Amino acid sequence: MTLRLARATTDLPPAGWQLLPLRFHRLDPDSILVTNLVGEHAFLTESQLLSVLDGTCTNQRLLAELRAKHLIQVPGERLPAELLAIKLRTRLRRLPDSTGLHMFVVTLRCEHTCRYCQVSRQSTAKSDYDMSEETARRALDLAFRSPSPHLKLEFQGGEPLLNFPLVRWIVAEAKRMNEVHSKQLAFVIATNLALLDDDVIEFCGQEDVYLSTSLDGPADVHNGNRRRPGQDSWERTVSGIRTVQQTLGPGRVSALMTTTEASLDRPQDIINSYAELGLRHVFLRPISPYGFALRRRGGAGYGVQRWLTFYEAGLDHIIDLNRHGVPMVEAYTAIVAKKMFTNDDPGYVDLTSPAGIGLGALVYNYDGDVYASDEGRMLAEMNDHTFRLGNVHRSSYRDIMLSDQLLQPLQESFTLSAPMCSTCAFEPYCGADPVFHHTTMGDFAGQKAMSAFCQRNMGVFTAVLRRAREDDFTRELFFRWAQQ
Amino acid sequence: MTADVEPATITFDRATVELDAVQRAAYAVAATMTVDIRVSANEYVCTLFPRTAGTDLHDLQHQMRSEVIDQTLRLRIGQQTEPLRNLIFALAFSQTGLADPEAPES
Repeated sequence: MTLRLARATTDLPPAGWQLLPLRFHRLDPDSILVTNLVGEHAFLTESQLLSVLDGTCTNQRLLAELRAKHLIQVPGERLPAELLAIKLRTRLRRLPDSTGLHMFVVTLRCEHTCRYCQVSRQSTAKSDYDMSEETARRALDLAFRSPSPHLKLEFQGGEPLLNFPLVRWIVAEAKRMNEVHSKQLAFVIATNLALLDDDVIEFCGQEDVYLSTSLDGPADVHNGNRRRPGQDSWERTVSGIRTVQQTLGPGRVSALMTTTEASLDRPQDIINSYAELGLRHVFLRPISPYGFALRRRGGAGYGVQRWLTFYEAGLDHIIDLNRHGVPMVEAYTAIVAKKMFTNDDPGYVDLTSPAGIGLGALVYNYDGDVYASDEGRMLAEMNDHTFRLGNVHRSSYRDIMLSDQLLQPLQESFTLSAPMCSTCAFEPYCGADPVFHHTTMGDFAGQKAMSAFCQRNMGVFTAVLRRAREDDFTRELFFRWAQQ
Repeated sequence: MTADVEPATITFDRATVELDAVQRAAYAVAATMTVDIRVSANEYVCTLFPRTAGTDLHDLQHQMRSEVIDQTLRLRIGQQTEPLRNLIFALAFSQTGLADPEAPES
């Protein structure tokens, strides 16, 4: 049997196409990024864009590319709209299944006094700042009301290992409750690892609990930021990471870094310190403008451009490591790459629209107050309770999820309607952050022309696109990260 | 900080430019200038106030002019593609069940 393949496209005559919804952004004088509703994109010159818009383009190769990427269609076609709808629904598929991440602040106590700590630290002797079993039980009741079939319970502080008995209790109680609910449960302890001992290791092994820690890089950077009696935070953290890797497995512990002034000239050193520990994911995070960090400014004085310089140098170093056979991933770039190069959305709470507050995550503070995000809790430490949605002892699930404190910021920050966002070519890659904009600009949407969130993310998107365009190895690397 | 410097003026022909595009452009350039928009018989008269002293007024005019052109294109694209955009969103959300009433509180 002879199989004949029909030619997929034929030459389009002048004005023989119509635009599908698209947005554009000038990357540089010679290049304009054009994206469709789901982030499929092409790079055009200004004259090419104008010729496509006014129907005079004769570049059949360009027209074929734009048609394949659902930026234009032949009048009367139905399939492109249907395919775009399917892709759009795929990107938003997590929306009906809110809320996946539930953070339990089991204590505010901590034995560290980190320069950038975002919550008020308390003496380790004050059990007044510990969550009670009754509060935890009510928080679990709310968590299990979430439609999401996957629940991740994350234990935060302070230092959650200072209230380890409650962590044990919550894990056991959640598993007991799940005999009825049959959700997919995951547990993470966000800990500095300084208090890691055999009991904790054994518990994490038996109960399949993951550990997430903070590692700011080499000892001098880390210990300068993260202070504790004995000035041995780095030594304890590194020892803890190695212990977990050896006893539970290399994938059972991950680390996050926070960029301070001391980090800005050291991206390579920071990344190398992760590589030396066998940690394959580095998240080059800027410092947050919340809570205690804003009051003490532990290195928070640097602007967006200095962080972007740091990020790009770090990203280039990670690409070079991969080029030489060391498989490292920059976590934020991987999130962006998934949004940029696939039809999926990772649902990362800080880079999604509608915003991730409430829908992606809920935070149960030690005293039972429920916050729309961890940043909302940090803001409360500055006596700004804008994002407090209720209290586990007084509020129902409906009270919390339909509260004006949640719905108003979600609505006002929605990127498909927010000024500048709705026409921005980067919108499919970006997200809404009403907590950041409330904190820095005084309203939930923010004035995007002056928004540090907008500048930072546009800088990241531009950096990622430029590297993917200029280098085949980097493009393939980003594609691999996008598939993870 | 708003600088105490002389503003620049730029006009747009009402026959070729929509007020919406001028307003959107004024919003988009807000990091470098604030814009006062007044309507005359045939023109939109925009007075550009630089945010920082020493800003080249010609640069401000170029930036505003360029932004108005981009916003005009965006409006045109938006108008041309609105029916398809609505269709795509209707298709995307028609099978999600998001309109279903929430189950009663237990």
